[in-house]
Amino acid sequence: MKALLSFDKAPPFAAPLRFFLTAPFFGLLAGLLIVWEGPSLLVSRWTPGALAATHLLTIGFMLQTMLGALIQILPVVAGINLANPLRVARWLHGGLSSGALLLVAGFLFGQPDALASAAIVLGLTLASFLMVIMPPLLRARSSSPTVRGLKLAMLGLAGTVVLGVVLALALAWGWPLPLIALADLHAAWGLGAWGGVLLAAIAYVVVPMFQLTPGYQARLSWWLPVLIFACIGFWSVSLIFELPLLGQAAQVVASLLGLVFCVITLRLQFKRRRARADATYRYWQLGLSCAIIALFSALTVVLWSTVANSNEWPLLFGILLVAGGFISFIVGMLYKIVPFLAWLHLQNLGQSKVPAPAMNKILGEKAMHRQMLCHLLAIALALGAVFSPDWLARPAGLALVVANAFLIWNLAGAVIRYRQHALVIAQKLAVL
Amino acid sequence: MSHPKTPHVVDARYMEPPEPFVKTMEMLDTLKEGEKMLLLLFREPHPLYRVLKQNGHAYEVELVADGTFEILIWP
Repeated sequence: MKALLSFDKAPPFAAPLRFFLTAPFFGLLAGLLIVWEGPSLLVSRWTPGALAATHLLTIGFMLQTMLGALIQILPVVAGINLANPLRVARWLHGGLSSGALLLVAGFLFGQPDALASAAIVLGLTLASFLMVIMPPLLRARSSSPTVRGLKLAMLGLAGTVVLGVVLALALAWGWPLPLIALADLHAAWGLGAWGGVLLAAIAYVVVPMFQLTPGYQARLSWWLPVLIFACIGFWSVSLIFELPLLGQAAQVVASLLGLVFCVITLRLQFKRRRARADATYRYWQLGLSCAIIALFSALTVVLWSTVANSNEWPLLFGILLVAGGFISFIVGMLYKIVPFLAWLHLQNLGQSKVPAPAMNKILGEKAMHRQMLCHLLAIALALGAVFSPDWLARPAGLALVVANAFLIWNLAGAVIRYRQHALVIAQKLAVL
Repeated sequence: MSHPKTPHVVDARYMEPPEPFVKTMEMLDTLKEGEKMLLLLFREPHPLYRVLKQNGHAYEVELVADGTFEILIWP
């Protein structure tokens, strides 16, 4: 029976790992950029530096880890096996990393050629990924809210990419388009229809599994991704047909749905059966708290247009939702996924004859907790820097550098220990 | 633990992987002809489905209101 535990369909460790190890370097670059540019970066969300830092975090960190994790977990959460996950991982990783760097260079140095190249590289890479992943995903029966959510999230990714490519090309080649409205829509698709829906679909599986909580109510989990997606759809329609009231209603309902998801997840976590609060749990608590504040503020600014039109609010919202929310959820999950995958591959390597070491021997709790404190400090300083950029912009950038360097240290350390244990297991097997 | 669908139940809702898989395979080994077992989980166990299919087992899945997947398995 133990042979059945070999999980022979699991993608090789190298497939997701390249994404997980590269992502913090983009976070580190974002921090360096803030240190280099200083207070002027935070004048508004439209400064070249702010646009570059945003995309270092959203494409370089978030999209990188989300797609890497997806390659790993599709067989587990949806029963979908990609034909050659390592090959897909290689070109996807190359395209995402080079495309993100080109885009950042395009923003920072005002280079139309770099912007257009980034649009082409990212557009082609992500269109190819969607062409690989969509056929098996659409063939899979929507037997669970997770599978249905994944299908919608992929459509969300497609929408985000189309809007992003159009925006980058419009900037590069001077197309006469309403750039601000389109950028808002691009952000809504990216953070709502893609990020939010994907997060919910994956949370249905990983929150009960990793944190031993009760499950999400079936009816809510079926409908939440559909409703979020519908809101972003109505928001898009409202822009095309110039129906501002419909757009505002869609924003209010989308924020409310996000709040419902966060509050329910918090409630589930309070009912968890795991007594000890580990790094994943703490990171999720931080992410949920930041997301709740961000979404609540999004609700209020719909009614309070002076705040919505200020330079400060969009920056605060972005820091809270992207760095405080999504990146916290992602790092929290990385701290569970990386040691678990290392353990799983060592377990397979041992062929049931040599046991794998415990997961905490691969990545220690204390190191993860300390790294989280650096991340928390970076968020707090970045929020403060919006109001007091002269004093706090560079310290916030420095804290982001430290938090990401610490994350690299932790994840790379886990990989080094994994390789050391793999050697020991191979040696023990040789003498058995 | 018993259940209206069968007396042979693995309630794996608060177990960490790979325990649900191990317990299910252990219970399957003990089933007599004509008996069915029920696995309760807060997720769909796709890797287990693959092994069940490979071993010629049949199963049906129902998602109930509280988010539990009830997976009825028989040889």
